[in-house]
Amino acid sequence: MRTARRVLIAFGGLGMAYAVVGALTDPDLKGGAFVFLAGVLVAHDAVLLPLTIGAGALVGRFVPLPSRALVRSALLVSLAVTVVALPLMVGPGKPAPAGFATYGLVWAVTGSIILTRRVREARRRRADRRPPAPRADPPPAQQSGCPPTPGTAPRSPAPGTPPP
Amino acid sequence: MVRDAGRLIRRAHAWMSRPLPPPPAALRRGPLRRGAFDTSGRSPRLTSLLGIALGSAFAVCFLTGLLSHLIQHPPFWFVWPSRPVALYRVTQGLHVATGLASVPLLGAKLWSVYPRLFGWPPVRNLTHAIERASIAALVAAALFQVISGVLNVARWYDPMPFFFTAGHYWSAWLAIGALLAHIGVKLPIVRQALARRIPERAPAGTLTRRGLLGTVGVAAGLITVATAGQTVAPLAPVSVLAPRRPRSEPQNLAVNKTSAAAGVRDAIFDPAYRLVLAGLDRSQSLTLTDLAALPQHTVVLPISCVEGWSATGAWTGVRLRDLIRLAGLDPEDAEAYVESLQTSGRYRATTVPTPHARDPFTLLALRLNGEPLHPDHGYPARLIAPNRPGVLQTKWVGRITVRKAS
Repeated sequence: MRTARRVLIAFGGLGMAYAVVGALTDPDLKGGAFVFLAGVLVAHDAVLLPLTIGAGALVGRFVPLPSRALVRSALLVSLAVTVVALPLMVGPGKPAPAGFATYGLVWAVTGSIILTRRVREARRRRADRRPPAPRADPPPAQQSGCPPTPGTAPRSPAPGTPPP
Repeated sequence: MVRDAGRLIRRAHAWMSRPLPPPPAALRRGPLRRGAFDTSGRSPRLTSLLGIALGSAFAVCFLTGLLSHLIQHPPFWFVWPSRPVALYRVTQGLHVATGLASVPLLGAKLWSVYPRLFGWPPVRNLTHAIERASIAALVAAALFQVISGVLNVARWYDPMPFFFTAGHYWSAWLAIGALLAHIGVKLPIVRQALARRIPERAPAGTLTRRGLLGTVGVAAGLITVATAGQTVAPLAPVSVLAPRRPRSEPQNLAVNKTSAAAGVRDAIFDPAYRLVLAGLDRSQSLTLTDLAALPQHTVVLPISCVEGWSATGAWTGVRLRDLIRLAGLDPEDAEAYVESLQTSGRYRATTVPTPHARDPFTLLALRLNGEPLHPDHGYPARLIAPNRPGVLQTKWVGRITVRKAS
């Protein structure tokens, strides 16, 4: 493995040297390429990434815990889509309003997952509150789908907690 | 001698590994503080998995990109075949799709190692300084490649103060060189991280390792589906971000440079238009009627742009090999230099090498999908050859010089 690593590092160094010499001697490339090279590094490391991490922290502050990871995930997907879509919208490559459908899809899926989870959670809580039916009784079909009595929904019942 | 050299290398290594004086502790502020970052979601295993995926994506992009470069600037040892007709369509489509899909991968990979940017002390010794400089080169070149590529796909050149093709090419060498060196340095860490599974430590509400990898996968998939329709026709209806929608452009084919932008509108509609066909010792001028009187052939060929879009057309016109014969040369041993009526521009002329010049599918096309060529597609005549980048399919052809293959 040691030899393999040395070969990789040596070839890597050669590739980088070829790039630097080639770029410096290419008449099509002037200083602008080096400015751009440094510019994208600074723009990413000093602006975009800190802003992204900051946005993640804001999610931690304002989004309820059960949805937090999902919202962070949806924000990251939206950011990646934006990196590709923004030049298309700003540049001469014909702004496509339909492109916004991508965001619509991301957030519609996220919203429906959050909603489904909430509904499921609410149903589970309701089921936990229900008194255990005596064995001889028929299944309590009439109770399924009943709205919870307002003001009585427990915030976080432990599974198996007996009803009050 | 050898022993001396070995001793010299060892001594240099020892000198470079000598610790540098530590920086004043008072400078250790802000992100440089101990514990400035919440590292619970980050791990060598996550970074290794992302690195392997990103490294593979970059390898695909480098190889397909190098191929495209060689086709456009062939050195003496490089021969590119004319068949299969759609090979370039596949390699360049793959290049652009892989590059776009690596946007979320690169973002996640850089996030996973971000705290290391603020490691303390910033440099321990000279070897460490070189390693950090090569990582800076890797990150800068990777960002350069992905961002300049996206800008080129969008044909938005204002933010790039350089010629895109040259910058993207040299930066690719910098990225792949720095990547190889990086793999060489980090190989033991990657092996160790992949050998044993470490239980997740992500606190509630943050993305787990699997969650982040899934997010990256979803983002890459979404970007691919939203853009790949520019070259994979069945995906076109859902590719809402596809920069080129051939169906909405003249004759159902995308146009990169219009006849107006090329400044050829007067020349192409001039009744005095003649195609100059120059052979070894004679030159002849052909009118459009002369060209139409030559045997006409129809081929179905894709036009595949370096920017990743492609579309298929049914082209009708004269075989280039027939024109080469008319000029008095044997197409099996000839090449053609095809010039546009454009007076300037990097792509105003191209050399058609022998494999393409003798291919019966290579046409000087006069018609597209049964109609005369649209002015933006190269009226009165354009080159269309199998398995070539779109920039080499010269439009508004005014002159063809036939010569023996060099």
